[in-house]
Amino acid sequence: MESLLPGFNARLKAAVAGSERVPFVFLGNFEVEEQWAVGEPGLPRMGFTGGGAVVNSMDEFAMLLAGEGDHVVLKARPDAGYLAYLRGLGLALPTVHVVAESDPARTVSQDALADPALQSALAAAGADLMLYAHGVSTVEEELAGRTGLPLAHPTAAVCKAVNSKIYSRRVADELGIPQARGWACDTVVELTRAVEEARGLLAEGRKLVLKDAYGVSGKGIMVIESERRLDRVHRMVLARAEAAGSDRAGLVLEEWVTKQTDLNYQVTVGRDGAVRFDFVKEAITENGTHKGHRMPARLTPDQLDAVTDAGLRLGARLAADGYFGVAGMDALLLPDGTVFPVIEINARNNMSTYQVRLQEAFVGEGRIALARHYPLKLSAPLPFEELRRTLDGLLLEHPDGAGLLVNNYATVNAAVSTLAEPGATADGRLYGLVVGDTAEQVTAIDTEITARLAAVTEGAVHVG
Amino acid sequence: MPQTAESTAQDQTITAVREALGDVLQRELPDLGPDAKLFDDYGLDSTGVLDLLMRLEEVFDVEFDTEELEMSHFATVRTLADYVAAAR
Repeated sequence: MESLLPGFNARLKAAVAGSERVPFVFLGNFEVEEQWAVGEPGLPRMGFTGGGAVVNSMDEFAMLLAGEGDHVVLKARPDAGYLAYLRGLGLALPTVHVVAESDPARTVSQDALADPALQSALAAAGADLMLYAHGVSTVEEELAGRTGLPLAHPTAAVCKAVNSKIYSRRVADELGIPQARGWACDTVVELTRAVEEARGLLAEGRKLVLKDAYGVSGKGIMVIESERRLDRVHRMVLARAEAAGSDRAGLVLEEWVTKQTDLNYQVTVGRDGAVRFDFVKEAITENGTHKGHRMPARLTPDQLDAVTDAGLRLGARLAADGYFGVAGMDALLLPDGTVFPVIEINARNNMSTYQVRLQEAFVGEGRIALARHYPLKLSAPLPFEELRRTLDGLLLEHPDGAGLLVNNYATVNAAVSTLAEPGATADGRLYGLVVGDTAEQVTAIDTEITARLAAVTEGAVHVG
Repeated sequence: MPQTAESTAQDQTITAVREALGDVLQRELPDLGPDAKLFDDYGLDSTGVLDLLMRLEEVFDVEFDTEELEMSHFATVRTLADYVAAAR
């Protein structure tokens, strides 16, 4: 079983800044992949950009990765009741800076880039501050330039390069890490060859999956079950390349693998090349729908070894290519117990990264946590105090207790706050860790929360 | 209103779009009206759009020009059906 060393915040700083005492300015620019994908071919995106209000308000997660003496830039001032709740749990919170103009379609970095007063405030906030982002694109580099604060990361070019699914396929092959049969296709010539070689798999009744090298995690994936579909998407990619006057494809074609469980693990790569394996979590699905992550993951010692060994070797390879910082790997556990340790490398923080500090404080040895998000449909903003009443008895109220530890509240009201029409509803998400001493207890709390939130949603739909 | 050949064809297109969308989203869509918002209310994303397009191409035996497509074409079942009808 992997163990979390105390003080992830300090350990992270030592790894990427050389000292655990360097104060950071945290930026939760979720879906940085959108920036990395700019100008990349891949699958047709047809003008779809931006994650929308809820995704961009995931920036508030950064507040709980930061510690005392740190700073965080947020798109909106956190709910006062929520802050009081966190303080009540004994969590030391960072200095919060809020952008002057929060555009729901922009990441927090983009908002900060449009806010000269904020940039001046950050520049004046301390001589030894460093910027620590969710992930680094040219937007964060520009913000570093404007504020004069150095990034605690490698360059955007390095981060982008190692985040490509083409990179992870090639590196896994090079390191002898088992993975699904597949082809990395930088160019249309490589894609054409891959299409011909993969055709036989379809004829045998197998499925294929075509992945955008720069798709946002979980998106930019197309399942192909027929030669007709394979040929059509091939023609589409060729036509686009020709229209663009380019020979680039930016795709990965793989055999579809039937999995038992998705795994997610994290390594931290130091500036000095040292690699630490942080944790592995297990995705929980119910009737095919993603429900959350269970920690610790239920793996056999051999499976844990396979994941840990791959993580350390991938981390060393990332270091050799100039990367340092947090990297999250997606992996698969197959029905026969085999592990495919790398489906993709995320050269950025992961959702799990923001849970580490909370795990250290609230999920001690022998305890269990389920990281969840509960969908909400609201017609009016839901203040934290109101949620607290709704979930009376179900919130985690002290470190040894059981219950839901809310770790982002901005996503609850992000979309509903901008509703223009009366009576309309907007989707929100409540993120948190359901913590308990046994799996049964965690499941019971989770079920009760789901039921009570459904009642709130019902009410909201019928109000107005 | 009397049923015309044109409105019947439109109904068929709407039905096909609705079925294809159900396949893409992998769920039954009993309440999906012609003006339901596919992105906001049904969670359609860029990958789903591509999948949806290819299913419709197979149903109607056409090829759309994906370079010409805009998000507005996918706003509702009706806008998508109109686009499909124009492309046939």
